[in-house]
Amino acid sequence: MLQVQNIEKYYGNKNNVTKALDRVSFNVEAGEFLAIMGASGSGKTTLLNCISTIDAISAGKILLDGVSVADLSEAELAKFRRERLGFVFQDFNLLDTLTVEENIGLALSLNREDPGAVKSRVREMARKLGISDILEKFPYQVSGGQKQRAAVARAMVAGQSLLLADEPTGALDSRASKNLLEIMTQMNQDMGATILMVTHDAYSASYAKRVLFLKDGRVFNELLRGDRGRPVFYHEILDVLAALGGDVSDVI
Amino acid sequence: MCWPRWGVMSVTLFKLSVRNAKRQARDYLIYFVTVVMAAALLYSFNALTFSQEISTLSKSMEMLPFMIALATVVVVCVFGWLVAYATKFMLLRRGRELGTYLLIGLENKQVAQLFFRENLAVGGCALVLGTVLGGLLYQAFRAMALALFKLPYTFSFGFSLPALGLTVVCFGLIYLFALRRSRRYIRKANIHDLIYSDRVNEGVVIQTANKRRWMFGASILLGVVGTFLIAAWNLAIATAGAGCLILFLFGFFLSFASGVPAFFDRRPARKYKGQNLLIFRTLTAKLATMGVLMATISMIFTATLISEGTGLVFRGLFLGRAAEYTCFDLYIGMEGRDRDYSLYQNYIREHIPVEQSVEYQVCYSGGTQVQDYIETQTAYYNYGYEQDPVLRYSDYAALRSIAGYRTAELKEGQYLIHCMTYLEGPLKAYKEPLTLGGVTLQPGGLYTEPLSQGSENGRGYILVVPDEAAGGLSVHHQAYAAKTAEPVPYEDFYNLTVVMDKIWEGTGFGDQITTRAQEEAEVAAQTALCVFPLYYLALSLTMTAATILTIQQLSETQRYRRQFTLLQKLGMGRREMAKALRTQFAIYYALPAVPPVLIGAPFILHLAHAPEPGVMVGASSPAVIVCAALAVFFLIYAVYILLAYTSLKRNVLPA
Repeated sequence: MLQVQNIEKYYGNKNNVTKALDRVSFNVEAGEFLAIMGASGSGKTTLLNCISTIDAISAGKILLDGVSVADLSEAELAKFRRERLGFVFQDFNLLDTLTVEENIGLALSLNREDPGAVKSRVREMARKLGISDILEKFPYQVSGGQKQRAAVARAMVAGQSLLLADEPTGALDSRASKNLLEIMTQMNQDMGATILMVTHDAYSASYAKRVLFLKDGRVFNELLRGDRGRPVFYHEILDVLAALGGDVSDVI
Repeated sequence: MCWPRWGVMSVTLFKLSVRNAKRQARDYLIYFVTVVMAAALLYSFNALTFSQEISTLSKSMEMLPFMIALATVVVVCVFGWLVAYATKFMLLRRGRELGTYLLIGLENKQVAQLFFRENLAVGGCALVLGTVLGGLLYQAFRAMALALFKLPYTFSFGFSLPALGLTVVCFGLIYLFALRRSRRYIRKANIHDLIYSDRVNEGVVIQTANKRRWMFGASILLGVVGTFLIAAWNLAIATAGAGCLILFLFGFFLSFASGVPAFFDRRPARKYKGQNLLIFRTLTAKLATMGVLMATISMIFTATLISEGTGLVFRGLFLGRAAEYTCFDLYIGMEGRDRDYSLYQNYIREHIPVEQSVEYQVCYSGGTQVQDYIETQTAYYNYGYEQDPVLRYSDYAALRSIAGYRTAELKEGQYLIHCMTYLEGPLKAYKEPLTLGGVTLQPGGLYTEPLSQGSENGRGYILVVPDEAAGGLSVHHQAYAAKTAEPVPYEDFYNLTVVMDKIWEGTGFGDQITTRAQEEAEVAAQTALCVFPLYYLALSLTMTAATILTIQQLSETQRYRRQFTLLQKLGMGRREMAKALRTQFAIYYALPAVPPVLIGAPFILHLAHAPEPGVMVGASSPAVIVCAALAVFFLIYAVYILLAYTSLKRNVLPA
């Protein structure tokens, strides 16, 4: 579904260049749940921003269903983000002037879905995510976990095929994190959603089927969960992080 | 040890004040520009007040300082409110920063001083810039005043010290009032209050649907009733109408903002259509806390529009009336028949060089057929003419020659009609013959040049007949008209009125004496007396209200930026974002302007219909005046909207 081929990303000017991504390559299959891990400054969020077309790459190629996103016009990029990508951010990024229902409905509204059907589709998605009872409330009236589930609902309600999550559990307590990760797993398994999650939390990464480790802008390692149970996978992730060195305290 | 430490601290605080003042001027550029303009307006009008040149233009112009002083009192209050509002607004927005100063150990007194100094610095800069600009603005007003009196203008830049002194006093009052309030607030505030001050809402949102509906319905009703009442020619009723309109505006804006979400909640299909959701939510979030402010702004706009419209109506009225009276260099209309006007003749012969003159009689036709016809066609008051007025053709030809009009031909067996332009339509269609002393005359032509037809040469119209046909007609009054070698000076006009007083001594009656020069000076003075103060007010009011709206809008820059960045991630194109921003902008700025247009336009229209028929015509016709008042209002408003829109678009839309 997604092919990342030798991408590079530089920041700064000619006197001071920072290499954020250095020849990163990997593929994501449809229906996969992939986690990208790494310490602060390893290039995780830059990678996600490049895939999501928010940031432009300096070299390499990103292909989605065989189409290079770099070749798309501004209007096509907007259409691509609207129809294919769903975003979940660490700080939820819900609009505080809109109710939860309206925040979710906004994605459908932007997609020019039938306005008469928006309400029912929002309610259907809210039911799946267990947030039906907070639809009338404004973001500041609900908990962090509920906000994040609302953000997931917004990211998936228009039938987006690729969910990009940037530290989705970063601002949540452990109970709300677990709840959210279970919902994401469920969406991956039951609805066939492809999920690309950036995290530095080993516990969150253990819900994925595969984990890519970034260090200094490069792919350092890759772990496949296979048939192993989640607790075993979690410990394996911790081992790799230990091997990455120096950052274990950051990532647990 | 204490002294140097305090010295160092003072220097640091001073630097901080200067830096903050610079930032304030940059962040609130539109506010700063408005304060500069306020200083410019105050200075320029004060300069008009103190100008010897302007006050000696005519006797009536001696009233101008008084009229401007009255307007200045209102303008100082309005700008005082603007500065107080903007200062408090900035204080709340910067509460976190000011709270941090307290947190790091500054005393409340010092923070208050810091805020006071930086605002004073901004005000001081605005005053200096405004005074320079005001000097130029004064030249523009001076040129206008001289143009009104048809005098030549030459540019001469100079400063009026008394005007500068008064401007400093006005500005001092404006700033001291605003800063005293902020100073008191800071001195009493604790760290928590300051840090969380930006979370305090401005108004109350009405939550109950029933209460909201009731309030909305009642306010609309009050609005309609108030619009009718203010047009009544009765001070008590008009005041009650103004009260109704104020209640309408507050009721409308308080119920409107909270009613919109309820409206859309009942219509989900409409809510999710296109960009409706984004636009209405962004707007209602803003309006919900701005109900009282929006109502106040709407009230200011109503006052602005009425001021501008009234100014134009007065201008039209003076010009319209003057057009009728300025056709002859000298005119004397004498009451009664067979009057001896040798006293006038003697004075004129001795003092006024006359090139051409005519003494004539306005007669009665013996019937009212034309008057009856006019009354069936349009509103008409005969003003003492119980029959149709008639003029001999020879007198009419002389009058036309004196007024400088081309010759009007009268064929045998015909009569002419000379009327004011507002009667041209109905009288063009009048084709009835006129019988005078057994002679029947057919309609021969219609002329409409100004001919002192307010009540002198007929009321609105006069019939011009062959001299022989007017032979036995009864005389309504006698008159004298002359073309002079030079414009008749004020002294001669005054002396003629003295002659008149001598003639009519003790009777309580008098004649009608007009001179072109005196009429023109009077029109110029009256126009200046009404139009200058009213437009001074209107300009100040529009600028104040538009600035407050713009400050409110631009203060949301960061929130809008976050919102549009997110929308970009959700797949909204730049063009769509710009469209949403535009629509939201249009509604935000249109909302407080709609009630004033609905109230102001009928009021101006009504006012413009008040003068006697025939005065408000052409460029001063009621519809043109309403359009012109709206155009002036929206022109100034549009400048602010455009500035705010370009600034916001540049800062909030992702590249």
